[in-house]
Formats: sequence, C-alpha cells, structure tokens
Amino acid sequence: MEMIIAGLLDSLSPASLLFVFVGVAIGVLIGAIPGINGPMAIALFIPVTYYMSPLTAIGFLVGLNKGAFFGGAVSAVLLRTPGTPEAAATSWDGYPLTQKGKGEKALRMALYSSVAGDFISTLVLILIASPLAAVALFMGPAEIFALISLALTVIAGIGTNSICRGLMAAGFGVLVGLVGTEPVTALPRLTFDIYQFGGGISLIPVAIGLLAFSEILLQLEKFTVKGGGEHTIHVFSSKLEDRMLPLKEFFANTKTLLRGSLIGIGVGAMPGLGAPVASFMSYDQAMKRSKHKEEFGKGRLEGVAASESANSAVVASSMIPLFVLGIPGNLAVAMLMGAFMIHGMQPGPLMFQENAQFMYSVYGSLLIASLLLLVIGRLGLRFFCRAVNIPAMILYPIVVFTCIMGSYLGKSSMFDVGIMLAFGFIGYYMRKFDYSYVAFLIGFILAPEWERALQQVVIISEHDTYMFFQRPVAMTLMALTLFVVVRTFWHGINKGRKKRQVEEAAAKAGQHKSD
Amino acid sequence: MTRIKRDAIAYLVIAGLSILMLTWGIPAYTPAYPGYGASPALVPNVSVSVILFMACLSLLRIGVVIFMNKTIPAEEAVFPEDLDDDAGFTQVGRVKLQHLASTMIPCVLLVVAIEYIAYMFVSFIFLMIFQYVIGNRHWIQSIVVSIILTAVLYIVMRYGFGVPVPGPQIF
Repeated sequence: MEMIIAGLLDSLSPASLLFVFVGVAIGVLIGAIPGINGPMAIALFIPVTYYMSPLTAIGFLVGLNKGAFFGGAVSAVLLRTPGTPEAAATSWDGYPLTQKGKGEKALRMALYSSVAGDFISTLVLILIASPLAAVALFMGPAEIFALISLALTVIAGIGTNSICRGLMAAGFGVLVGLVGTEPVTALPRLTFDIYQFGGGISLIPVAIGLLAFSEILLQLEKFTVKGGGEHTIHVFSSKLEDRMLPLKEFFANTKTLLRGSLIGIGVGAMPGLGAPVASFMSYDQAMKRSKHKEEFGKGRLEGVAASESANSAVVASSMIPLFVLGIPGNLAVAMLMGAFMIHGMQPGPLMFQENAQFMYSVYGSLLIASLLLLVIGRLGLRFFCRAVNIPAMILYPIVVFTCIMGSYLGKSSMFDVGIMLAFGFIGYYMRKFDYSYVAFLIGFILAPEWERALQQVVIISEHDTYMFFQRPVAMTLMALTLFVVVRTFWHGINKGRKKRQVEEAAAKAGQHKSD
Repeated sequence: MTRIKRDAIAYLVIAGLSILMLTWGIPAYTPAYPGYGASPALVPNVSVSVILFMACLSLLRIGVVIFMNKTIPAEEAVFPEDLDDDAGFTQVGRVKLQHLASTMIPCVLLVVAIEYIAYMFVSFIFLMIFQYVIGNRHWIQSIVVSIILTAVLYIVMRYGFGVPVPGPQIF
C-alpha cells in the first residue's frame, strides 16, 4: 500500500505533471496533422527523453501516445483525412457532420468518447495487469522463448497481405537485432568489422528511419511526383446547438461508449490486432445494434462515439501484454518498450517486483494523461483544428530535419544519422514492396530477449533436446505458434482460391454477355 | 515491369543474399562456439533460414501461377495505381527512383558535409535545397523557415540538452 501511495505521489510531482501535460498537448497537435501518427511521434521524441528521468520520460511518451490517438480524429472529422489509421472509421460520420456545420460538435463527441474509452481501459489495466503478472512470473525461459516465437508469428501478419513477406520482415528484424556483442562469448557478432556496430544497432535511428523518415519519403511523392496536396477546412457553424454537445445527447450514447470501450480493451489486450481493428469492429457493432442504422455514414454522433471510444481504449489495454509478458502488442507499445529499455528497465512481470513504485507511478501518469487529455482537448479544440492547415512545405522540412537531429542526439554521432537514412531507405522499399515494417521493428526489439531465453534454456537443460516436452506451457505455446503459421497459410490459400473462382466466374459472365 | 515480375526479382535477390549470409556472412563474422550454451550462430542461422525458406516458397508460388496458367488475385498481381487511376498516393506501388534520389541525396550530402563545415551553414543550405526539391518556390518563406529551424534546433541542443551540434564549432 505504501508503494502504491508513493508511486501515485511521484506521478503528481510538478515535473511529471508538466511533462505529461506537454506530451498530451504535442500528441494531439501531431495526431491532428495528417500523415503523422502516434508511433512516429514517439520515435521522433524518444531521443529527447534521454535527458529526462525515467518517470517523466515514460509519462511524456504515454501522454504523447494518448494525445495522438485523439488528435487523429481532428483531421478525420474536419478533412476526411484520418491523421492516424484508427481514426478512419471516425471520418465516416464525423466528416458528414462537418459538412453540416456540426464539426465542433463531432469533435467534442470524439474527445469525450476518447477520454471515456481511455479512462475505462486504464482502470482495467491497473486492476488486472499486476495479478496477471504474478501468474506470469511462474514462466521460465522456455515459456518466454515460446511466447516470443508466438508473438513474432502473430505479428508477422500485420501490415502486409502476405504472411511470407511478414515472416521475412520479422526474420530480418531479428537478424539486425542480433548485430553487436554476443551475450555468451561477449565477442562482436555480425559487425562486418565496422567498430560502431560493436555495441549493437540502436533502436532510435532504426525506429526514426523506418517509422518517420520512410513515411515522409512516401508522402513527399505527392509533391515531387504529382504536385499539390493542400486542403481547406470547413468553417464551423456559429449556431450554439451545432457546436455544443448537451449532456443528454452524450449520455444517449452510453451503451455505444461502453461497448466500444470493451471491444477496444479486448482487441488491445491481444497482441497483433491494433486500434484500427477495434474501431472498425466497434463501429460495425454500433451500426448493427442501432435503431437508426440508415443514418450511419451520413453524420451520426453514435458512429463517432463507437470508433473513438474503441480506438482510445486500445492505448492502455495494449500495455497489458507488455506489463504482463514483456511482449509489445502493437507498434506504439513496441516504441514504449524501447523507451523503457533505454531507461534501463526490462518491461515484463518482474517489473512489479523490481520497480513496483515506478509501475504505480506509471499508472498514475496514465490516469493523469486521460484527465489532461480532457482538459487540453476541451480548451484547445479550436487551436488544434488549425494544425490540420499547417502548409506541407513548412511541415515536411521540419520533420525531416527533426529526424536527422533526433538520430544524432542519442549518441551525438553522425554514424547514427547514416543508419537512420539507411533504414529510411529500407523502410521506403519495404512499404513499396509490401513487407511489414511493423514485424521488422518488433523482431528487432525482441531479438535479444529471444536469444537470451534460448541460451538460458540450453544452458539450464544441459543440451537436452527434449526439454520443451517437459514444459507443458512452453509446448502449448510452440504448438500454438505452429498452428498460427499453418492456419494463416491455409487461410491465405483458401482466400486466393475463392478470389480466383470469383474472378473466373466474372470473366465467364462477361464473355457470355459479349457473345 | 509487372508487379509479379518485380516481386519475383525481389524474392530472388533476397534468396541470394540469404545464401550469401549463410555461407559467408554469418560464419565469417560470428564468434566460435565456446563449448557451452547455444552456438552464437544458431539464432542468426535460424532467422536467415526462415527468410530463405519464405523467399523460396514465394518464388514457388509465382512459378506455379506462371507455369500452370493460374490467375493471381488482382490486388496482388497489379500495382494499386494501375487498378485505380484515382488511387493517387499509395504505399504499395512503384518505386519512384527520381523522387527517392532527389530527397535522399541532399540528406546524404548533409551527413557528409556536416563533418567538415559548420552546422549553421550546412543546415541552412540543406533546408533551402530540401524545400526547393519538394517544390517550395517562395524564397522568402524558405529562408525564414531555414533560419528559424536551424536556430531553434541549435538552441534546443546546445542549451536545452547540453549536446554540441555536429561538425566544427563556430560558437
């Protein structure tokens, strides 16, 4: 109990409050700008946290992530250009509302739904992560090895149409993550005689290159290849009823909000699914259960509430696998995991034993971030709406230069800037060729832990090949890994066959018509 | 070039590089087995083998499609920009080499030049060139953005974080 109080008091310190506040404000601002999302913002700002204490750093990044999730709704509602992928469903009803002059009302609904979903999810995280972590402590290296294997295969399917390309990307990520000093012999491995690789390849330049720089390279195509890309924002109505959201109207959506939050919590707790899945599922359920199905997509507040409550609920619940098992469930959490590691902590069940007070401080920061999101969003709504209009010609040079200087900041080394550019280039090709950069990054982050667990298994078992057969949980997890791979391949083959049949049938029908 | 052909070439390159890593890269740059634990080459070998296996599997699939005259789903076989004229900006698609070169070259030159020339000067020139490359022809705006950004990052790094800016110091 003393630890809990001490931890919560730490999160209420002026420095912690200030950085959570700044994080949320920057997050909303960045999320509102089309093309910049939460993980990208975290990657760009991790170097800055080098100079903060661990608590202020994590509080700042958590605030940034929460803010960016809501920020994505601003451009989705005002421009029909979701600032983040998970805000796509928000635009379906948010934008029609803006066209009717009710953009501010839609944004208020998005804000309150985000805060509600996020707050409920944070409470669930606080209530269940610690007891689950206590159970997870019974897991040995064999189970951890099997669990990471499972996570890598599940995550390989994210961000690509092909599990083969996903696994190739994950394998490449693991390979790059192994560059540096080998843990048993303490000798350099895969360094190719480049002495800067001796300490391994840092997460910061890799993450900035893959997430931010490659994304900017892609988005700049609009300007260097096609030209244009500017947009105009709809003007808000001056009528009070179009701007305000009465309590009665908000509480009329309570069921949708609760359902959305629960969907978000469930989806977030499962590694590999992510916020876009949650918001689409919640929107779909809200539409199916609504008495006014026909109004969905034409500007119904319920649609905004469903999407925003679900995607914001993912933010906190996706930390459940991180805190319980040490496995990042999505890209934003993978970035947060990197930040924990940079500050000398290994996320996982042991954190509740080794850094209990710190964990309660993080919980405190998560709750404070939810409340600050409400305050900042409410007071700065009109200001954040202006962010969507920042000219691209000013925005992109700022982001590119920040990528360069952010990569330099970590080790004060231009070599890291070179690595960032290289991974920006690789990331551009990965996106163009449909290889999952998410799988790469998670493979890169998990590789050292995966190898460490394997080494422990081999050393403890004294090279007993059948060691896994004596560990039922590890065996189950390995069987599940195999099942995921086989099922994904089988699903892909079936999907391809069905599509082929449909296309052939359509071609035949076309031929008959022309005859 | 069709998308299938491009993907096939990519798989061939990946398979080739994987074989090179398995036969030369990993053996040459991995410490010898110390006699306990797993071999330092085990995990690198496993990850490269997975890459090689998946590349071969993907090549096999393309081979089956070509030699057995089967059709592959359109969204996998055709570039998104060819499926829909209005697709505009897509992530998966053709590599725009000219665009890539025009944006990457100034960045690479900055990394090389900043080691020899002062940060203030190189950063200003880089930002001017970069804005020109992405199509900004408002010179006053370019100059103002370049000066402000260079100065703000200098102040943040030097006085905020206490980190010297890269390259020779003039202040």
